[in-house]
Amino acid sequence: MTADGVAVEARAITKRFPGVLANDAVDFEARRGEVHALLGENGAGKSTLSHILSGLYRPDDGEIRLHGQPISFHSPRDAIDAGVCMVHQHFRLVERFTVAENLILGDRRGAGRRFRIDPTAVEAQVRKLGERYRLPVNPRARIWQLSVGERQRVEILNALYQEARVLILDEPTAVLTPDEADTLFETLREIVAEGRTVIFISHKLNEVKAVSDRVTVLRAGRAVATVVTADASPQSLASLMIGRTFELATRRRDTATRGDAVLDVRDLWVEGDRGSTAVKGVELTVGGGEIVAIAGVAGNGQRELAEAIAGVRPRTRGTVRVAGRALRSGDPRAAHRAGLGFVPEDRLGMGVAPNLPLTMNVELKSYRHGTLGPFLRLRRMRERALAAIRAYEIKAPGPDAEADTLSGGNIQKLVLAREFAGELRVLIAASPTRGLDVGAVDTVHGHLCDAAERGVGVLLISEDLDEILALADRILVMYEGRLSQVERRDDMDEIAALMAGAENARP
Amino acid sequence: MRVTVERRLRQPRWLAVAVPAGSLVFAFGVAAIVLVATGHDPVSSYRQLFDAAFVSTGSLDQTLIAATPLAFTGLAAAAAFRMRIFNIGAEGQLYMGAITGAAAGLYLGGRGGPSAFVIAAMVVAGCAGGAAWASISGVFRAFFGTSEILTSLMLNYVAGYVLTYLIFQSESYWRQTKGFNATVFPTGKPLPSSAVWPGLTVHAQGGIVLPLGAGLAVLAAVVLWALYRRTRFGFEVQVLGDSAGAARYAGVRTRRKILAVMAISGAIAGLGGVSQDGDFRHALDGDPNGLQKQAYGYSGIVVAALGRYNPFAVVLIAFLIGGLDNAGNTLQGADFPSGLVGVIQGIILFSALGGELLVRHRVRVVRRASAVAAAPPAAAPEASP
Amino acid sequence: MNNSLVVALIASGVAYGTPLLFGALGELLAERSGVLNLGVEGMMLVGAVMGFWTVQRVHGGSALALVLAIVVAAVAGTAMAAIHAFLVITLRASQIVSGLALTIFAGAAGLSSYLGNDLNLSGLPASHAFHPVFPNSMQSWPIVGPIVFGQNPLVYASWVCVIAVAFYLARTRPGLNLRAVGEAPGAADAMGIDVVKYRYAHTLAGGAFAGIAGATVTLAITPQWVSGITGGAGWIAIALVIFAFWRPELCLVGAYFFGAMQALAPELQARNISLGPTELWTNSLPYAATVIVLVVVSSRGARRRLGAPAALGVPYVREEA
Repeated sequence: MTADGVAVEARAITKRFPGVLANDAVDFEARRGEVHALLGENGAGKSTLSHILSGLYRPDDGEIRLHGQPISFHSPRDAIDAGVCMVHQHFRLVERFTVAENLILGDRRGAGRRFRIDPTAVEAQVRKLGERYRLPVNPRARIWQLSVGERQRVEILNALYQEARVLILDEPTAVLTPDEADTLFETLREIVAEGRTVIFISHKLNEVKAVSDRVTVLRAGRAVATVVTADASPQSLASLMIGRTFELATRRRDTATRGDAVLDVRDLWVEGDRGSTAVKGVELTVGGGEIVAIAGVAGNGQRELAEAIAGVRPRTRGTVRVAGRALRSGDPRAAHRAGLGFVPEDRLGMGVAPNLPLTMNVELKSYRHGTLGPFLRLRRMRERALAAIRAYEIKAPGPDAEADTLSGGNIQKLVLAREFAGELRVLIAASPTRGLDVGAVDTVHGHLCDAAERGVGVLLISEDLDEILALADRILVMYEGRLSQVERRDDMDEIAALMAGAENARP
Repeated sequence: MRVTVERRLRQPRWLAVAVPAGSLVFAFGVAAIVLVATGHDPVSSYRQLFDAAFVSTGSLDQTLIAATPLAFTGLAAAAAFRMRIFNIGAEGQLYMGAITGAAAGLYLGGRGGPSAFVIAAMVVAGCAGGAAWASISGVFRAFFGTSEILTSLMLNYVAGYVLTYLIFQSESYWRQTKGFNATVFPTGKPLPSSAVWPGLTVHAQGGIVLPLGAGLAVLAAVVLWALYRRTRFGFEVQVLGDSAGAARYAGVRTRRKILAVMAISGAIAGLGGVSQDGDFRHALDGDPNGLQKQAYGYSGIVVAALGRYNPFAVVLIAFLIGGLDNAGNTLQGADFPSGLVGVIQGIILFSALGGELLVRHRVRVVRRASAVAAAPPAAAPEASP
Repeated sequence: MNNSLVVALIASGVAYGTPLLFGALGELLAERSGVLNLGVEGMMLVGAVMGFWTVQRVHGGSALALVLAIVVAAVAGTAMAAIHAFLVITLRASQIVSGLALTIFAGAAGLSSYLGNDLNLSGLPASHAFHPVFPNSMQSWPIVGPIVFGQNPLVYASWVCVIAVAFYLARTRPGLNLRAVGEAPGAADAMGIDVVKYRYAHTLAGGAFAGIAGATVTLAITPQWVSGITGGAGWIAIALVIFAFWRPELCLVGAYFFGAMQALAPELQARNISLGPTELWTNSLPYAATVIVLVVVSSRGARRRLGAPAALGVPYVREEA
């Protein structure tokens, strides 16, 4: 690694949002030819800093320097023109366009500037870049036809096509299998070998160790340290991240108490949204007090599986039994009555009605109980809401506040408060801690484990392997609609192989 | 200097009233400009307007006549729009209710004073007619996902042609075939006296007649309010209106809701139609320059939007807009070109729409150098700060 | 042969369909940018009355008066569209309610009537009107004669517009930008495309087209002004965009199909074919047909592959600070 000089530098960057100081006088610099990691927990300020560097946000204080010159970006476009390109966690691609059209869209020089567009030149360039950087993609393919990993490739290609000198990647491995992640790391090394700079945002220690040259740790909005990766141990990095001595918090509980199967799924087949089959013949059981986790990269049918078991999505074939009772397909109320709770992965889109008050959201499942004929008991609903707010320490202006004014963590607490009410036998939690800060993650994990202690069977669906390893009694892996059982839960290679679709874990 | 717009965390009650009120004031101001620009005197025009609407003898009667159908179509629109079902078909549903209601009146009515039985039958028939017509759009929306906006609108035109056909182009049951004028100018058969709806005469200001329909409209408002705010059905309507995903999650039967809401909306509009027969016209009016020129259905949408879909506000605003319409009709002439009423209604709606932003958001002018916080990131991607 | 019902129907279909086509093209542009404008009927009516007023008032040659009338009609439509654009783009109001408000404001019970009656325009024939330009000899050629050569210049202009809009969308950079704005405004914004500007521009363009559509009715089809003369054409134009799958070429086909249906009643009457009870059917036909086609088109299968611009109807707010 040759560090020829500083490529991009942030000095005393400060950024505030209502109620939170996201960046507090952060100093940061990344050199040419290096992969520099920004490490920190959810809520530490990594995304904010990167959004400032890439022109989406403007800092309240401080300055940015590019190749030594002070510069200020008024929009993402300014940053791109200056050579700073961000590869987003939620892709900024037009689904209906082809790969080539997406690249032309961002092109302010050369072929893109002409009034008449000619895709052939662009397509040739895409092929060339794809070969060079190991990012093969068909330039004529439409984005909606591509897999998530391929879409990320397009985003990276876009940055390279724009001749970016600084690439910022925001949690890029969240959507990749372990093998795809390795390929990505190789690509990144190719990119910096030419003298470019890569800023790699992550909260995963092992990745940071694998790919970066240096790492800057952010904690609670401050830059606490910048170290050479090779010199730092995972323990020291973790301590810097969390701010106290780090213990691999496993919440493994006493595995002796295991009840009968509270959830029994046989031969489940479910259709996806685009007409393809998302779930293919899945079978699983969850015992009372057991935490069963399903690992896997998003998009392999987990969402459809969770929705089908909870009755939110109809199933084309198969049976679902909760505590012995067979559930009708596509009937969420029946599932709820049988004792099934569901924490959906799309909190705002499904878990709550965003513009309705908390009093109503708390009752989304239970509004049909305790009514006076067809009439609601409004006072009782309000009391229940107040009780839930107290019990789960939900920070809200009041019970009449609209659900989407709450932070992510508090929305999740609301959902849990609702799902835990009543006689719960099975809880399905899909990506329950996505996007939450450390404190909220801890709380949610606590609730899940408490539920298991009480004899509830928990089905945890998550992309976060750390979370799975910490909580689960049994691990399953989902790939392209099918489930595989993991034999040895400590064997990361086996898990990785299954996530990438290997038929048998053992040779 | 920048203008920032941020979501309010709480919506103050007074704003919910101030915005529609402010819109009215603003609209009259803008209309005054239009009047001046076209060579009319706004002050005298407005005074005449107010006079003709509420003050002069018999004005309140006329205003109630104009307001009653608006209350029905306004409630019909509010009932549907609340769940984000944009039923634009109140116009056609009103016609259909008039047709079926008149049929019931003609068939069941006889001599003698107004009969509760006949009137009840007319009410049922009118609601049924409106509900059935609305259900066409409802079925297409529920089962095929077809936009109810366009289908209900197209059906308005068809309903209008049916109405004209029944009186003008055929020897139908509804048409007056006896009498000297019958062949010269087609009219609807007059309703028998037991099918004529009574009014309540209040002895004030020279005697005001409250039509039965007006009372029914108020009753419908109460029922609608209770239904949407106090029942399980209403709970589901609110959830479905807010988020389709949350509704699925909660097990709300979406198709049934869509069908139900469209039917309710159509029934209310249909009730407005039969009220036209029973309260005011005492026959089915198929004249293309009669009932069909009044555009009650479309005005109802203005009323509903201005009342922010609250049933009681809708009735109140129907009264005010009814006054406006009445005055517009009375004063029509050189001083009052027809179309002024639509202009004012449109401006009122525009201002209400613009003001809506103020209710949900706070608009501030921010000096760049200050450290005042600006708009937080949008809620959808969980952007961790 | 040229007098047969079929040929006459097609020829009339083209004529009647032209306002539909202009209206649809305009709405297509607006919707491609993500803005739904239900006020097409209102904009058409205002264009109709202002165009008519212009020919009545301008002294000079026919050509001058007519060109000026088209310009005035376009400007009038644009002015109406500007209200809607401001409300929904800048103030982020509900696009549906705003479009309806525009129809009420400008429509048959609103501004267009107000202006028409105030300016005493009703009941008089137009001083100048658009007539077919090709010589009679060409107009009597079999089949193509009446259908192609028997049309007024606005029809030919509409053909040019269809080609231009199609080329614009598919082959040009601004057209690509426009499509991005309507599909994924976040992505377009990230690429430096000014979403607000594109939405304003294309909504206003939609107004201009609608105004011209209205003028087509009062200056070419029935050279006369009556309140509400477009009779719902604006709404059919909106429906047209949907079942043309937001493609200009298909708008042309659809417009003529509906134009033919509108022409059916008068053509039958001209041939003294007794209408009797069928008058109800022929009057209702265009509207009923619209409903049926809409239902077919909105079936799940059709929508999956060829649906609306993804961001249609949703106000765009950049997450920013």
